[in-house]
Amino acid sequence: MDFFSIGLALACLSAVCGTILRVRKWFTRGKAMAGSTHHGPRSLRWAAGLADLILLRRTRGGLRRRGHALLILGFLPLLFLHAMDGVVTRPLFAAYEPTLDPWQFLRNLFGLVSLAGLALLLWNRTARLRPLSAAQDWALLAVVGGILVSGFFLESLKIMSEADFTRMADDYFPEAESGELLALKAYWAAENGARFSVFLPTAPEMLEQGAELHEDRCAGCHSPTSSAFVSRSMAALPLSPAMADRGRAAFWYLHVGLAFLGLSLLPWGKFLHPLSTGANLLVRGGSRNSQAQNPPPARGLGLDACTRCGQCSLHCSVAPIHTVMGNADILPMDKLSDLRRHLDARLSPVETGILAEGSHICTECLRCTEFCSAGIDLQDLWMTSKQMLSKAGRAGVDGEIRKSTAGEWAREFASGRLGAIGGTGAGLADQAESFWGCVQCTTCTGVCPVVAVSEDPSRDLDLTPQQIMNLLRMGLKSQTLGARMVWSCATCYKCQEHCPQDVPVADILYELRQLGAEVLREKEGRS
Amino acid sequence: MKKYDVMVIGSGFAGMAAALFAARRGLSVVQAGATGGIDFSTGFIDLLAVHPIAEQKVWEDPFAALAALRRDLPAHPFCRVSDGEIRLALEEFTSFLGEHGLCYRGREGKNTLTLTAAGTMKPTYLLPCTAWSGVEAWEAKAPALLVDFYGLKGLSARQIAEVRGDWPGLRTARVRFPGMGGELYPEHMAWSMADPARREELSKTVAPLAADVQYIGFPAILGMTDTGAVLSHMQELLGKKVFEIPTLPPSIAGPRLRAAFDRGLPPLGVRTCTQKLITRAVCSDEGFQFTAGSGSTSVELFAHSAILASGRFFGKGLKADRHSIREAVFDLPVTQPENRSLWHRPGFFDPRGHEVNQAGIETDNLLRPLDADGQPFHPRLRAAGAILAHQDWMRMKCGAGLAIATAYKAVISL
Repeated sequence: MDFFSIGLALACLSAVCGTILRVRKWFTRGKAMAGSTHHGPRSLRWAAGLADLILLRRTRGGLRRRGHALLILGFLPLLFLHAMDGVVTRPLFAAYEPTLDPWQFLRNLFGLVSLAGLALLLWNRTARLRPLSAAQDWALLAVVGGILVSGFFLESLKIMSEADFTRMADDYFPEAESGELLALKAYWAAENGARFSVFLPTAPEMLEQGAELHEDRCAGCHSPTSSAFVSRSMAALPLSPAMADRGRAAFWYLHVGLAFLGLSLLPWGKFLHPLSTGANLLVRGGSRNSQAQNPPPARGLGLDACTRCGQCSLHCSVAPIHTVMGNADILPMDKLSDLRRHLDARLSPVETGILAEGSHICTECLRCTEFCSAGIDLQDLWMTSKQMLSKAGRAGVDGEIRKSTAGEWAREFASGRLGAIGGTGAGLADQAESFWGCVQCTTCTGVCPVVAVSEDPSRDLDLTPQQIMNLLRMGLKSQTLGARMVWSCATCYKCQEHCPQDVPVADILYELRQLGAEVLREKEGRS
Repeated sequence: MKKYDVMVIGSGFAGMAAALFAARRGLSVVQAGATGGIDFSTGFIDLLAVHPIAEQKVWEDPFAALAALRRDLPAHPFCRVSDGEIRLALEEFTSFLGEHGLCYRGREGKNTLTLTAAGTMKPTYLLPCTAWSGVEAWEAKAPALLVDFYGLKGLSARQIAEVRGDWPGLRTARVRFPGMGGELYPEHMAWSMADPARREELSKTVAPLAADVQYIGFPAILGMTDTGAVLSHMQELLGKKVFEIPTLPPSIAGPRLRAAFDRGLPPLGVRTCTQKLITRAVCSDEGFQFTAGSGSTSVELFAHSAILASGRFFGKGLKADRHSIREAVFDLPVTQPENRSLWHRPGFFDPRGHEVNQAGIETDNLLRPLDADGQPFHPRLRAAGAILAHQDWMRMKCGAGLAIATAYKAVISL
């Protein structure tokens, strides 16, 4: 057993077992996402899904789309024709030799195309996505880039390598006389970029003899190395023949090793996205809407299909709240990752609190679902996970506050167990100036659409807006924090717009909610 | 920046009227002001009913009262407008409201006594058609039922009946308003009356109590934008004449007026900067540069002329501190008592009223505000409405009429 066989076996084992485990999670996580269940068979629109996949129809942004197109166009042929040549290319093409054209030329072309695509993706991530990026994002770029670059180096060092020439000559021209070998070396040095530690003649007749020997012995398996246009141009590097020989060995291990690493990492994080995202696009069948009734495995697949492209987080409607609060789970991309960890029971209680808070800040506006380049039905995941978290006693600040009455909250706030409420005491609700002009005219309540839809405001909302303003100006803030009016406010700002005395009614209600959220964070030990 | 012919500062009666009159005369108009003030209107359009206030003399003929007022109080703003201008202004104003669903009615040259939520009879010149049957019922002392609602604080039928000892045929009933409970707010009730089903429920509740009456009175909750239709449907359902009494402020009458202007002014080309007070004004020979609102939502506006209709204290046209009163937009000189101790008399209900209620800005006969030297502050600045000095519109019962008439004069004198 040599390095190659052991490495390949281990990498395949890791890839297969890991992928099986990942796929199993599609089912277990999907099942764990309780909530609305699948009703009846779904008609899949494979054609639309396939078009999304092949044409990268959902991949947004010029850089990303071009980068992916180039990388896929370059890397897939390399994978099948080059890396798997033993099982693909050789059986299909009788005269296949990696050093013959068109293979030698195509390998360089595909490698260059891949590298160009990778460079665009790296540019995109560095310029636009750096704040959203994690280790695995850079790792995937590094592994793929490493495979490509090391491949070029390996090929160029092979071109230069004297040891390789000698080994080939020993195998395929064992009867060579020393003069003939010299002529062949002279030819290879002049025409194919090989490097030798001995001085070589440059006389035209020697080169002519070398050319004849080359035609006779080598050309059957070797096209001119100039068709390996990238590697051959790299063969101009100033290296001694000894260094080239040592480098050739080192880069073989590097290139093959990185390829094995990539293969074995396939089930890790976003390394799987070429498979999981493709599968998800097919299952979604081109839909940009939320289905709301996805069967459990489809939900599990969706959970696993994220490419971490960051579009959802960049376009999230409540991203400004993330800017203020700093809770990473407000943004869809991070929330998805923590939701997976939650389903795997790998979140601590405090982290679960953070996930619940982020989840409940989501307004279910559908934007992330529309923008998702992996076609994940995020809307369905959020709505289901919110229900799931609420059932598990994580109803978010709104839900938690509603579990007790306004009076119970007032007692709890007044008990001082939750620390000083109101933080700095410098909020709008704490300042006498906010209520200076209030004449208790009820205009704010009269125009309030939330009060309007209630059949009995004191039963449904505890207090009306003008009553809250009155309690606040009497300094009874703890009485107001748990009032359901505060937690039902739609922040439509009608009250504030119609107030004849410029009382910032809506701003104050919003501030009270911020305070409630602070209190809950404190209760859950997250402050 | 777009240039306007006229900037109307204020969105109460005077501001709305000025915007309407100016737009109707082909001027390009922009209007700014808080939305809150007009919400406190009763909906009645008073012209002039009490003069002199110290005697609390009530006049049946407002034009006779005007003649007396002009004789006694030469500084009163009504001295700047003629009876003819007043009639034209009121006609144009109420016909506009009529086009937008708010029908008004009165008696030519006569004040009418109408019921208030307190049970008193208030003299006014024009009143919403929805209140008219109440006038007829009281004048005839006809058998009538006054309905109020559990949870609605702004009107008590029993209070009205007890005060109106002169109307023995008046009965009262308190009922549950269908579909709502707890504390009720007039605007929500009025909107819910847009649903014919709600009217049917209400009439089913009331009909058994009203078998032997000719008139049925309700708190003013009969619809928001379609009061005429709601009223006639209720009359049809109940088979009686139906009328409304405005509840305590803020009643639904104010939002109805505001809604009518919100609907009617933009089609006339008026640009309205709602809920924006003027925070900066720079005058030049060409006109006025204004900033409306503050912060990120503020807008810059330029107008060749301006009409200051920003009201008194509640409208934020005048600002009072511990020592004095200032005008909010141009810092015009304000006629006011010498010091704060003279603002109010010791008795709150002193029939002579309080000096501070006469405070305001001085103008010439063209309603041009005067500067400290008694000269026009700017040739194309006018003032209208409550901000004008030497009038106590509350006690004289002349608020809306004065606002509309001076707005008319301000526009036609531009």
